[in-house]
Amino acid sequence: MPELKCKDPVAVNLWYAIAPLEDVKDARVQRSVLLEQPIAYTRNDAGDVVVWAYEGRPGDAPGDRALPVKERFGYFWTTLGMPERDIFPIPEYEEEDRRNIHAASFGVNASAPRLVENFLDMGHFPFVHTDILGAEPHTEVKEYFVEVSEERDEILASNCKFWQPMAAASSSGGADVDYIYRVPHPFCSVLYKSSPLDDGRNDVIAIFIQPFNQEQVRVHMLLSLLDDNSDDTQIRLFQQTIFGQDKPILENQYPKRLPLDPRAETPIRADKSAIAYRRWLSGKGVAYGVIPPSA
Amino acid sequence: MLKLYDYELSGNCYKLRLLLSFLGVQYRSELIDFYPGNQHKSPDFRQINPLGQLPVIDDNGLVLRDAQAILVYLASKYDPSNRWYPRESPELLGQISQWLAFADAITATASAARLHDGLFYSEIDVEAARAGAHRLFRVLDEHLFFAEEEGQDWICPGEHPTIADIACFPYTVLSEEGGISRIDYPAIRRWSDRFKRIPGFVVMSGVFPAGPAATDRRQAVA
Amino acid sequence: MSDLHRKWYPIASSSDLPKRHVYQAQLLGREFAVWRADDGYVNVWENRCLHRGVRLSIGINNGSDLKCQYHGWRYANRTAGCTYIPAHPADAPARTICNNTYPAQEAHGLVWAGEQASGDLPPLDGFEAATVLRPVPVLAPMEMVVEALLAYGWDDSCSGRANADGSVTVTAADGAEVRLFVQPMDSNRSAIRGVSNQPVKGADRIRLLKRHSWLMQELRSQIEACASSQEAPPPYQPVIARVSEDLVDIPAIGTEMRKAELRVQVAGKEMTAEGIVSLRLEPVKGSLPTFQPGAHIDVHLPNGLVRQYSITNGPGETDHYRIGVKREPNSKGGSAAIHDAVKAGDVLAISAPRNNFPLRRNAEHTIFVAGGIGVTPLISMARALNAQGLSFEFHYFVQSDDHVAFKPQIGEYEQALILHKALTPEATGARLTEILAEPGFARHVYICGPGPMLEAARAIAAEQGWSDETVHFEYFANTAEVDDSTAFEVDLARSAMTLKVPAGKTILEVLRENGIDMPSSCEQGACGTCRCGVIEGAVKHQDVYLSDAEKAEGKSIMTCVSRAVSDRLILDI
Repeated sequence: MPELKCKDPVAVNLWYAIAPLEDVKDARVQRSVLLEQPIAYTRNDAGDVVVWAYEGRPGDAPGDRALPVKERFGYFWTTLGMPERDIFPIPEYEEEDRRNIHAASFGVNASAPRLVENFLDMGHFPFVHTDILGAEPHTEVKEYFVEVSEERDEILASNCKFWQPMAAASSSGGADVDYIYRVPHPFCSVLYKSSPLDDGRNDVIAIFIQPFNQEQVRVHMLLSLLDDNSDDTQIRLFQQTIFGQDKPILENQYPKRLPLDPRAETPIRADKSAIAYRRWLSGKGVAYGVIPPSA
Repeated sequence: MLKLYDYELSGNCYKLRLLLSFLGVQYRSELIDFYPGNQHKSPDFRQINPLGQLPVIDDNGLVLRDAQAILVYLASKYDPSNRWYPRESPELLGQISQWLAFADAITATASAARLHDGLFYSEIDVEAARAGAHRLFRVLDEHLFFAEEEGQDWICPGEHPTIADIACFPYTVLSEEGGISRIDYPAIRRWSDRFKRIPGFVVMSGVFPAGPAATDRRQAVA
Repeated sequence: MSDLHRKWYPIASSSDLPKRHVYQAQLLGREFAVWRADDGYVNVWENRCLHRGVRLSIGINNGSDLKCQYHGWRYANRTAGCTYIPAHPADAPARTICNNTYPAQEAHGLVWAGEQASGDLPPLDGFEAATVLRPVPVLAPMEMVVEALLAYGWDDSCSGRANADGSVTVTAADGAEVRLFVQPMDSNRSAIRGVSNQPVKGADRIRLLKRHSWLMQELRSQIEACASSQEAPPPYQPVIARVSEDLVDIPAIGTEMRKAELRVQVAGKEMTAEGIVSLRLEPVKGSLPTFQPGAHIDVHLPNGLVRQYSITNGPGETDHYRIGVKREPNSKGGSAAIHDAVKAGDVLAISAPRNNFPLRRNAEHTIFVAGGIGVTPLISMARALNAQGLSFEFHYFVQSDDHVAFKPQIGEYEQALILHKALTPEATGARLTEILAEPGFARHVYICGPGPMLEAARAIAAEQGWSDETVHFEYFANTAEVDDSTAFEVDLARSAMTLKVPAGKTILEVLRENGIDMPSSCEQGACGTCRCGVIEGAVKHQDVYLSDAEKAEGKSIMTCVSRAVSDRLILDI
């Protein structure tokens, strides 16, 4: 078997979402890239998604380079290695009264960890998502809690609040909206946002990042909502509008790889979750898509 | 009311949103699930536009496709000042048409590269698309440099921008999403700032607003 | 650092830098954000916000500062110091958050820079009235472009020669001459920048520019054809400088001692109002540190006294500090020294600016209440809000028209300026009651003035329902009598020391005697510089800096005046 281009054992031994299941309906062979390794996938005669690595031409069946497949959260996932852990859970996905929507998969010329950090960040709302997720002069990021759960090996940022101009469809003025963020995977994150429609329950938005290489990714966006009013198109387009605003920021970050040296950039209190994320990546020894701290 | 079949991330749809906003024309956006739904290729939509492309407008039963054609129509019909598309001036109309065709070439290159990188249009030869966009930007940059030298702010001569500016703007300023840097085109970058300061300018996802232009310092109180 | 990095290169034409624009440049692989402030100053900065690395060339040039597009951080003209972090509107950013700047000069219609450039620019004798040609970028290495330029010419008489500085001179028989510089943007990308010695105007100028633009593009096609047949050299890898160590952790409040670290010259001294003198202080050499609105400096006077004065400057006014000094009738020698002894041309020692009166810019509406000389910090604040287009009103209580100070500065926001003249204390109270009638969501008040007025304004604000965290004030003096008759102990939690504070000495003095660095400024409980965290123990507050709520909470102490009620305090030092 040819050697992998990606030399980071942590990155190799992770599960990655590759495509929404709704995009793999027939026996057409489709191609993608994971960690610089060309991969192909299709649905076989038995109706199962099959994935394989290839060099040159993909062929039309796995041959001897079949990769493991799992179906989770409406996507199929694969890995180039042998993950010790299963894909992280999102229990809300299974709740019966939720609408689970694949919002989009976008290509971004940025590194996966830069996307995760942006996803965890609230301070940019008034400047990047102006009049949607935030509006000047309401720019304050209030104190919130960050913890790293040893048991679940994930980062949790809770009690996050941010003032939003259109907190809910029903409200005329702005209000604080509550967020909880999870980072259960070096290149995936899940956020919980207080639902305007159901007090005490949360809408869920998740990003699953598939690194093509260290500086180019495909990000898959899942929504799991309690919203009955909007149609799928409206919900998707809203999410795409938001992500489309983040994209030029992400593509204009330099260096593209996330620097893990604490002295590479300047954190402030609002960046507690990002600081925890960088430390967590350092602790795991993640080397893909990052600039490791200098010795 | 005027209906625009619209998709937020489409630069061609954005051209029309810009002109409608500059002109203050009320319209309704009919949102099309271009991606991932491919709704513009659906049978229903192909009855509206057999080419299966956005944008399309429906103005009281007049259905028009093609961003440049719609710009011509909207400016001719809804701009009483006659400045965005000066119908009385053959010279300007000729120049505007020339740049509308140029804008189409930007779409065929810079927009294609953006679709390749962002939405995985794998059949596009992205290197050729990027090279083509750079060839066009070199021409546009030189044109705008000499326009500035002649005291002109816009692509076509005159005090006021025209639909040629609108047609060229979106895929030029979105080019970096297709891996096409504009660092070598300073005159294009300055024109973008001027364009963003036209009263009524609106952004789309991927386009940032400009700050206010310099104003003369307020005089001190006595 | 190679010799290449010590050279000057043209990186832009002057005409590339109109006001309110950010130009994107590159030199030896490193990108620069280049912008001209409204005062004409050309800033050449690394094209990277220090916070998250976002290119500043996509940011906004506000004329006085550059705003990052990602989180709205603002970096000041000249100093490149961060003046505002919107995510934490109540904090003054640590002054050391400063973007990387590079040496820059503007000459001969070109902007010159170099990562470590020093010395003189290449001489351009005979080009005093030159015409700057349109730059032409070329996808080829610098050396290849330089070589090709030796064959550049516009008629048969042209001949090119290489100069020692790396440029190329092309001369025609009629004396027309062009000097061509090659800017190495990256290892395989260069820009040809030229100047012609023909000072032409109008149609001739356009003809000349077009002619050279055409010829250079023809030459470019040849160079690029040649370059594309060769293997491209690997791109330069500019080193990303690490930020200073003290920025790794979340910045704490002021960490410097009471130092007179700067020398400034009194560049102007004039009366700005009855009894108030305005001083313009310019650096003796180098530049002044970044200030934030509300900041003050310590001024070390020739007679040995140290006094604090607020900076009145607006954003981007970074080449000088302007302070106002009122002659105090019972001056102990501070204000009198300035009024009588200091004159234009004198050199004074000052501290770096310190901000214990930070301006929040996340209010929907801000009310400023100034009394007399207390106007100074509020002027700087109002100018900052005005530049950002934020909503505010500015109430200025004065004895008469003759007492209105800094008219040119407050004139910038005359639409928000309301003068209240010659009011009795009772009438002032009534007026303050009207002004402070409407507390509300995201409304803030800033008060600075004489003690009695400040007390009245705070009391009125509290009565009308303004919460403590929406009312901000600065005393210029603590007029209360300080009791230093008690003795007690302080435990320093982080330093693991126990110190005895005897009667007649302050905590601050005892800390210093024991070698603990503690910043201070006014040393009378007014400015807030020597604030310190309290972990345990009851505090006898004798300052006027902390709010009542903060005093009641007991988590902070002003070590210059306040003491322990209990036998012992545990301080977070």
